Amino acid sequence: MRRRRRPSAASSWVDRHIGWLLVSPAVLVVLALTIFPLAFSLWVAFVQYDFTLGPEHPWVGLDNFRENWRDPVWRSSLWRTAWFSVTMVSVELLLGLTLALAMLRPFRGRRVLMTMFVVPLFISPVVVGGFFDLFMRRPYGVMNTLASWVWPGTVTINFSNDSPWLYIVLITADVWQWTPFMFVILLAGLAAIPDTLYEAADLDGAKPRQSFFFVTLPLLLPIILIAVTFRLIDAVKLFDIIFTLTRGGPGTDTYTTSYYLYQQGFEFFHLGQGTAGAWMFLIMISFISFWLVRRLLKPVEENTL
Amino acid sequence: MTDLVVDRKRTEMPGSVRVVRGSRIRFGGIARFVFIGLYCAFLLLPLYWMAVTSIKSQDDQLSDPPVWFPKDPTSVNYADALNRFNGWKGLENSLIIAFTTTFLAVALGTAAAYSMARYRTGKHLAFWFLSQRMMPGIAVIIPIFLLYSRYSEEWFGFGLIDTRTGLVLLYTVFALPFTVWMMYAYFRQMPPELEEAALVDGCSRFQALAKVAWPLAAPGIVSAAAFAFIFSWTEFLFAQVLARDHAVTAPVALAGMITFFQGNLYGQASALTMVTLIPAILLGMLVQRHLVRGLTLGAVQG
Repeated sequence: MRRRRRPSAASSWVDRHIGWLLVSPAVLVVLALTIFPLAFSLWVAFVQYDFTLGPEHPWVGLDNFRENWRDPVWRSSLWRTAWFSVTMVSVELLLGLTLALAMLRPFRGRRVLMTMFVVPLFISPVVVGGFFDLFMRRPYGVMNTLASWVWPGTVTINFSNDSPWLYIVLITADVWQWTPFMFVILLAGLAAIPDTLYEAADLDGAKPRQSFFFVTLPLLLPIILIAVTFRLIDAVKLFDIIFTLTRGGPGTDTYTTSYYLYQQGFEFFHLGQGTAGAWMFLIMISFISFWLVRRLLKPVEENTL
Repeated sequence: MTDLVVDRKRTEMPGSVRVVRGSRIRFGGIARFVFIGLYCAFLLLPLYWMAVTSIKSQDDQLSDPPVWFPKDPTSVNYADALNRFNGWKGLENSLIIAFTTTFLAVALGTAAAYSMARYRTGKHLAFWFLSQRMMPGIAVIIPIFLLYSRYSEEWFGFGLIDTRTGLVLLYTVFALPFTVWMMYAYFRQMPPELEEAALVDGCSRFQALAKVAWPLAAPGIVSAAAFAFIFSWTEFLFAQVLARDHAVTAPVALAGMITFFQGNLYGQASALTMVTLIPAILLGMLVQRHLVRGLTLGAVQG
């Protein structure tokens, strides 16, 4: 007969509190590195913290916030960030989903393709921005040459100045980098949908399109939500690609909110105003993602011990 | 349509559901491969350009019309990037930082996620972890810079500025939300019966985790690790501000070349990018199978 070892006092204490013991290291690490920065930056948002105005930091109340709100560049950067990120994430979702559907069933060479598809994820966004800049430069950039192949005549678009093209290039760069993320997550989701459901749909005489809309999509929805939430949170912070691709130009035409805040803080040294802006931005983001996340957390049943 | 052979073994999911075969969405044979082909072109063109730029001489890089393949391939860009522009140092630092971060984020994140999934420490913490990812980096970068350069010295007696330790700590914090979320979803979807059985057999709760739950969650852990690695391998903003010299990372070295004050050093930048892709591709091949398997995030339940 196997005898149960009697647990020591210490290990039974560990066992009773294991839930909190397991979760606390992660929480503590995060707290240790965020409490001070958050508190400090909250203070900075309410004082005059401006390297161009000297070392004193008098309390200025809501002035920093108002300053942002009055700046038309800030407002336009917010709108731009919104439509940039929505466009980028939708394109990535559509492309990623189609690609995942296309790659779902095995075929010869699938593994090699899969390895290839994830490569952009490993390239730093700064590099991606830099290279798309190289592609679109006139006259030696390769984009005009390529466009001349598909379009009759010689194409000479000034990609870095003409307004729709510049945006298209930016969005393409982001799509190039992040579609693999959507693809990988959605493919995993698709692969997990059990076959029996499709068989049932088949028996009920569902057409392929119907089984896509009534079986695949509803089951995939939670995963789509997760992927979109994470992508969206990153997309609204778009900075690196702007930093090397357009530097916000021409003028302020490609300022995203993050780039605007970077400018305020690190080019003009209006740290107070920049930080206040970041807090305003954070509040806006959290409303949106809280709404998304609430829907995320709902559908799964609890498997607690 | 019908000529596609289905390989059951390869597509089987861990644990619960058996998968694949048959009717799915009928994404017609030709359209399917045309789409894959087009996407490959879109994906490979920039990559090809990077690769070919890395072996071009200075004159060929910015010529009109563009040079599709240089007549006289050169390796000078590689030597230059690695030796003169911090290439080796950046790669070494990036490797060390990325691996340490991945290890820490996965260890801490998996433990936290398990606790949240099984012991009702859950939902609020889940949102709190996610919210850590929302803060725009710009807002906290100054305080973190001050913390690292001044206060850590004053309060604890060691400076964290321009050290690998400093970056590892920070990246761990940034990578944790995603790791925790993925593993949280993964554990929630795993049936608890096996761990219950282990408990009945006299395992302690910790043993149930270490001997039953962790091994079962391996595919999820691999994909979480891959994403933590990707994050720390490519991060730029914080590295740029916090690690200028001693702890310089590959992205910082790369950005230095791209925005070089005398003109962009595309040759060198693409050479170094090519080198950074080596570990990426190795890792990609290594985890590819698990990557897709582990990523269901537990959200789909049949």
